[in-house]
Amino acid sequence: MATAFTPYSYIQCPCSDITPTDRRSGGSPTTPEPDDDDRAFDPRAPRSSFSLYPLEYLMYCEDCHQIRCPRCVAEEIVTYYCPNCLFECPVCVGPLAVTSVETKPDPNLLAAPDNSAAPLAGPYALTCSYCLWTSTEVGIQFDKPNGIHAQLAKLRNGGTTRLTAKERKERRKDPSYKAQPPPPDSQDLDHEAQFANLKAFYQGQLADPNTADAGLALLGDLGFSSPTSLSRIMSIYTGGSLLHDKKAKTRLGAMREALDPDEGLLVASLDESAAISKLRSEGLDGTASTAQLVGQPPNMVEPPLHGNERFLDTLRPVPHLLRTKRSKRCPVCRHIISKPESKVQTTRFRIRLVAGSYIPSISIRQLALSSGTGSGTSASGPAVPGAPLEPLKPAHFLLTFKNPIFETIKVTLGAPATTPGRFASRVTVLCPEFEVDANTDVWDEALKNNAERDRELRRRRGESVSANSGGISSANQLEVGKIWERGRNWVSIVVEVVPASLALAPGNPPLREDEDVLEIPMFVRVEWEAEMAGDEVGAAPSRSNSEAREKRELAYWCVLGVGRIRQR
Amino acid sequence: MSSRRAPRGEYIETDTGNKVARKATLVGTQHIMLGGKTVIQPDAMIRGDLVRTIHPSSQSGGNAAPQNNTAISIGRYCFLSRNCCLRPPGRFYKGAFTYMPLRMGDHVFVGPGAVVQAASVGSHVHIGAGCVIGEFAIIKDYVRILDGTVVPPNMVIPSFSIVAGQPARVIGEVPEGGHEAFELRDLYKTVGNNPQPAPH
Repeated sequence: MATAFTPYSYIQCPCSDITPTDRRSGGSPTTPEPDDDDRAFDPRAPRSSFSLYPLEYLMYCEDCHQIRCPRCVAEEIVTYYCPNCLFECPVCVGPLAVTSVETKPDPNLLAAPDNSAAPLAGPYALTCSYCLWTSTEVGIQFDKPNGIHAQLAKLRNGGTTRLTAKERKERRKDPSYKAQPPPPDSQDLDHEAQFANLKAFYQGQLADPNTADAGLALLGDLGFSSPTSLSRIMSIYTGGSLLHDKKAKTRLGAMREALDPDEGLLVASLDESAAISKLRSEGLDGTASTAQLVGQPPNMVEPPLHGNERFLDTLRPVPHLLRTKRSKRCPVCRHIISKPESKVQTTRFRIRLVAGSYIPSISIRQLALSSGTGSGTSASGPAVPGAPLEPLKPAHFLLTFKNPIFETIKVTLGAPATTPGRFASRVTVLCPEFEVDANTDVWDEALKNNAERDRELRRRRGESVSANSGGISSANQLEVGKIWERGRNWVSIVVEVVPASLALAPGNPPLREDEDVLEIPMFVRVEWEAEMAGDEVGAAPSRSNSEAREKRELAYWCVLGVGRIRQR
Repeated sequence: MSSRRAPRGEYIETDTGNKVARKATLVGTQHIMLGGKTVIQPDAMIRGDLVRTIHPSSQSGGNAAPQNNTAISIGRYCFLSRNCCLRPPGRFYKGAFTYMPLRMGDHVFVGPGAVVQAASVGSHVHIGAGCVIGEFAIIKDYVRILDGTVVPPNMVIPSFSIVAGQPARVIGEVPEGGHEAFELRDLYKTVGNNPQPAPH
């Protein structure tokens, strides 16, 4: 209530209308029966919030002549790009910068060495300039200021190095390393190493023909731990590049499983006493929040499983997420309705069929009437925009429809007499049928001489009174069936609402969130004549030589949020 | 910025269409470049005095080309609201502290009370009220920064991002139909010494 309410208009995408039996999900766009309350669209239905979009979010398919929303278009990735080639702070999400760990002596000091102008020397760390987190807090330092990603992959939290996959492979090949078996330290086994060890182990098992020992024969018959199922599973997880052993398919013998860390066995460390004692000493402040843990990428370089990633010192710098440029296709006709240029630096679009250039935009403004016109308006001054609406007192809203296309459109509006929901406010659209002139060139309008302009204006108003389109004048009366104001390609009409009282009978559940917002469901039908030949609706201005015209129609539900009702 | 002094209005309107409020604080005007049709509202501050003191080419010498001493360059149709502040970012460079120029594209809206210390702001950018843009941030084109956002220093905001929070994070994407909302031509007409009403 503290912030002023901004009126909004959301449009329902017809894609959500596939279940006509579900009455609550919304009315059908093909049968406009706005007077029938049962068929009226209910903006408060739980499913409605998934189908309502501001006009900017909607696209328009020129071939299907239908609105398309972000949920119903098919996206294709045009290009990936890296927005910022460093890391994000794991504590806040600020960008990290490479800085020298050693602080430089102040060049203004007399004791400063002469070479203070030289670039900073290592070691280096990643520092967040927002929350002052540095990677030295988790014991990570770098020797070089560049190639941070590669350096980070070799470092564990705490500064101990780890072997990369390549190094591990070389070490396995090295006979001198094989000769002296290292102590089987399962803590040395991180995600990557464990996967590599397991893969090597199972590949060895598959290649070995003499593994069909008799143990677990029953299970072997079922196919568990048999070479066949194993090679199938491995081809799933390794991209099918694995060996396709025809012979293995015929074998059903069981294989043994990994027995030591070198073969990929990792014993879960269920002893959490270390974590508990650490929690005792460091307290909750030393633990990472859920958001911080969620932000962490799967940690490939740390030992997996229990007791990890709970403390702040297990957090690692997060690489920036890649961004994409995506093109969009109509789900029905597969035509492309949006396509950005593939070059990363440009922001232009090759194709961009947005709904805003095909269907009229609706803007809402509260109308301050100095004198009531029979409907009992007692607003003494101009209504404060965004102020709560008084219950049971009529309020007037100006709906301005702006026509984006180069044809005159005929708009028909329908709204239920009372808004759906627990608090039924009364709604009256004073002028439910009107025409909006075409979006002609601004210069055509300006170059017309005054008399013609005046005649035009009179025609537009459909009356002979001296009309001045400049502002709201006393000539503007709240009359049923009359347009309030008209412009080059826009028309304003008045909607009268009588907000319901929010008083609740005892025993009723309390007001839900945003239940005090007065939302008007409105069915909008737009009709216009377009050229037959060209499928482009708004491309070419009308020419007299093209006789073949066809009627076009577009109908959809929208929701107008006009204001909050004052609570007592 | 020569001004036609004849009508003494609230704004000084220059030949290139800039509308600069008399009550705006412009420091070091010789280092401020306005592209034209830019609105600077009262009490906005532009720190043109924080000019670059170290030039990368100064060591190499040789050509005596005139040093580009622009501290802040602003494109066309920018709108600097009341109490906002544009300030070039500064840092240590080769052992000495120096300011770096702040570049701003076209159609950039800077909300009331916002402080901008970015290295560059692209075109069609909306910076909400009370935002703080940290030093050396890079904001690309078609970016909407919601009110009260604190963009940390050195952050790079890719095109078509909607950014909010303290510190700022990307919370959404600007939809295809939302590009026109960044246009500031109509807003430009609504301020000045003889403002036009906003079109419907």
